[in-house]
Amino acid sequence: MHPALWVSKTGLSAMDKQLSVISNNLANVSTTGFKKDRAVFEDLLYHTVQQPGGLQSQNTQLPSGLQMGAGVRVSATQKNFSEGDYNVTDRDLDVAIQGQGFFQVLMPDGNMGYTRDGQFQLNAEGSLVTSSGFLVEPQINIPQEAASVTIGDDGTVSIMRQGSAENENVGQLTLAGFINPEGLSSIGQNLFVETAASGAPIIDIPGTSALGNVRQNMVETSNVNAVEELVNLITAQRGYEMNSKVVSAADGMMSFVIQQL
Amino acid sequence: MDRALYLAMSGGKQVMHAQTIRANNLANVNTTGFRADFEQARAMPVYGEHFASRVYAMTENPATRYEAGALIQTDRSLDVAMKSDGFIAVLDAQGAEAYTRSGDLQITANGQLVNGSGLPIMGARGPIFLPPINEISIGEDGTISIVPEGGTAAEMATIGQIKLVNPDTQLIEKGTDGLIRAKTGVPFEQNLTAQLKSGFLESSNVSAVEELTKIMSLSRQFEMNIKVMDTVRNNGNASARILQRNA
Repeated sequence: MHPALWVSKTGLSAMDKQLSVISNNLANVSTTGFKKDRAVFEDLLYHTVQQPGGLQSQNTQLPSGLQMGAGVRVSATQKNFSEGDYNVTDRDLDVAIQGQGFFQVLMPDGNMGYTRDGQFQLNAEGSLVTSSGFLVEPQINIPQEAASVTIGDDGTVSIMRQGSAENENVGQLTLAGFINPEGLSSIGQNLFVETAASGAPIIDIPGTSALGNVRQNMVETSNVNAVEELVNLITAQRGYEMNSKVVSAADGMMSFVIQQL
Repeated sequence: MDRALYLAMSGGKQVMHAQTIRANNLANVNTTGFRADFEQARAMPVYGEHFASRVYAMTENPATRYEAGALIQTDRSLDVAMKSDGFIAVLDAQGAEAYTRSGDLQITANGQLVNGSGLPIMGARGPIFLPPINEISIGEDGTISIVPEGGTAAEMATIGQIKLVNPDTQLIEKGTDGLIRAKTGVPFEQNLTAQLKSGFLESSNVSAVEELTKIMSLSRQFEMNIKVMDTVRNNGNASARILQRNA
């Protein structure tokens, strides 16, 4: 059949994937600590029909050959870890990271997850957990009689007991960093897990390295830029329409053959 | 029967090749740094001791269009686009030097600088490896400066330079993996005047309107070839009828 049909089919499916990436970004425009994705497009292999420089006759050479590309594919989705905006919430257990680090979360299967979403809560035992109820590592327990909780820029968690003037240190938040954060795999619930591409986590105390400081009473908003996504949406949609136009042109050619011959 | 049928068939077949090249351009209308391909047809006469009416068509793609695409702002410090003519040097799957305009750079787990397709970026002195970093910035000439992990802005250090080349477009060709290479296979020298822009990506240089128009015109061209085949068949039918009557 007509090869252009298959080529534009790859175009259609790539634009379709681009559309799902954009719609996921837009759906998460208000998700705390969300990092946007982008689809990475790559041209597929080329098929050489005639080799350039082939002999046309014994004494003459073809000056150029014929190479036909096989279309396009989405080779990866790339996460963009640029920082989102900081939203002041004035809630004691809201913590934002100003820098490249991640909070460490102990997932129910015993593996470590990493998140930028610092909307922490307490569970029944008084331990600091994420909004999904997973324990924050290292584990921090806030006693019931705590009147106020203070989280310093360096991650020190201290409490003030009712009727006491002394600050009591109850734990230390640490941050994890990766040499290639874009290699982390997203598993939903605002969590990322380590992969061979991201490298092993580098764990450090906030405020001492690139991992950044923690800021209490703030949350980091999604880094999705709605205008940018809408512009991408337009190009993806038009790209889709153009490729479908090629499918109908190729189809028209084939149906003409069938009618005429 | 007249062999004109085969001429028309060769025309139609070659138009389909041309259509495929145009369809590939349109499929890559959103591919970062993609360069559109041309197609052209060549007349291939068959010489011999007969009436010189046998001229077959042959489609070929003589060149790739190297003009720049639009720059798209992404604000990611590892996204680079060529501001001038020229290419970013990378290593292909075989470890040989190849060139691309696609500059969505990434750092791998072992600190190597690669592009979006995972191809190592060539520096002025071989592939580029980075230590753990706080911040990275890429200058217009491809110079990579970093603030090492735990360092301050005052400790900015230059650790390498991306190899940029700017060869004559006559000397390069697109390979079967979509990368640009030297026709001779000998890598080009680093060009010191080629310029990058960090925080941007270059779009595909496919002109959607031109490609669509070309596809429409190729479709009609194809139909004309089919029409000739139809005419040849009618001629055959007519002569068959005449011969029947005489019988």
